[in-house]
Amino acid sequence: MNTGGNSDDPRGDQHGMASSSDCDTCREAVSAALDGEAGPEERARVDAHLAGCAACRAWQRDAEAVTRRARTGVVVGGPDLVARVVDAAPGPRVRWRGVTARAGLAAVGLAQAVLGLVGLVGATTAAATHAGHGSDPLMVLGAGMAHAAHESAAWNLALGVAFVAGALWTRHLAGLMPVLGAFIAVLAVLSGIDLVAGRVEPARVVSHLVVVAGFLLGLAVVRTVPRPGAGPSPGARWRSRPDDLPVAPDGPRATVPTPWERESDVA
Amino acid sequence: MDDASITALALRAREGDRAAAGEFVAATQHQVWRLLGHLADPGSAEELAQETYERALGSLRRYRGDAPARSWLLSIARRVAADHLRRRARRPVAPAEPAEDDHPLGRAPQPDPAESAAVRDALAALDADRREAFVLTQMIGLSYEDAAGVCGCPIGTIRSRVARARADLVVALGEPGAERAHRSG
Repeated sequence: MNTGGNSDDPRGDQHGMASSSDCDTCREAVSAALDGEAGPEERARVDAHLAGCAACRAWQRDAEAVTRRARTGVVVGGPDLVARVVDAAPGPRVRWRGVTARAGLAAVGLAQAVLGLVGLVGATTAAATHAGHGSDPLMVLGAGMAHAAHESAAWNLALGVAFVAGALWTRHLAGLMPVLGAFIAVLAVLSGIDLVAGRVEPARVVSHLVVVAGFLLGLAVVRTVPRPGAGPSPGARWRSRPDDLPVAPDGPRATVPTPWERESDVA
Repeated sequence: MDDASITALALRAREGDRAAAGEFVAATQHQVWRLLGHLADPGSAEELAQETYERALGSLRRYRGDAPARSWLLSIARRVAADHLRRRARRPVAPAEPAEDDHPLGRAPQPDPAESAAVRDALAALDADRREAFVLTQMIGLSYEDAAGVCGCPIGTIRSRVARARADLVVALGEPGAERAHRSG
């Protein structure tokens, strides 16, 4: 290490006015000032020290010169990697899968909404034709067949809207999946029982497959969308001003991990 | 190209924009290659730069734009260099030293090979942490704050490492002007 008080330094401090620790502090500040990283007060202190220390004045000139040599004396240019690395990049493949799944989900959503509308119109006209016959003969839990059909049609329409909306605003899709999964599981069991008992036509059960298709496409979209929770967590954000150690020792190793390293997301 | 534009390119590349990915690489590859030449060795810099971009583009989906994309990329390059040095330490082979006339394709030769070699040797002889801080701030042109982000250390550490690197370089490169002045005076 080159210190100002070193007696065999050819540019040593012949006046004996400054201690070597003053010179070390000064030279760090001189270095920061060369990079425009020293504040006005610090620069004033540096100037005061330099005025009385020939060794540090010489060091300042030398430091400036070696920095210039290091900046200009190394190779310019380098290999062109654009074609090589961009062709190997995995991005678009995933993206296309995502786009395809979203388009499919939107189409399934439209089909489901149409099914819901058809069901709604059918239930309403059926209710109207039966209106003359007085009250619904089959009341279950306070609802007649007509109202049960209305409710089911409303659900089907709502699912269609949810699929289309999920295809458009993918970040909300993940929340829909548990609801849909439960709906499909219960419906599958009940449809099986009703089919065996002859309470439903196979064509009606087949129409439920549209919901299943929507569910599967929804899962595919959720998998391809960049997860909002991945990457650095809010607590691991880039530290804008890590000035907890204003003059830190030249330690053997960095003590604070790079924010992204906590995520171990760079394999 | 400034950091904001580079970050914007990275975010577009994340959405699958290949042209933006190409521009992102074009805008940053020289600095990545240069950094790796100093952190690892010049002979491996090209291969390591490619590895850096493979890692970066592979994990771009998880980059959220919280930090400047250039700093994010350089911190990946830093890790690639560290991994490379660890691999080499485990399985020691003599690294291929680049010949003096070993220039990248299609580039002008260096202005003064002797001067370049002297500077390169002096940099290579620096303590690794000091060299990293010096290269990031002086050759790559990062602010102390951004360099601290890349290295994951406080700004004050970068500041003192840069100063010590300068002090070491002053000794190693022995400013001829100053010595002449001393001898004659």
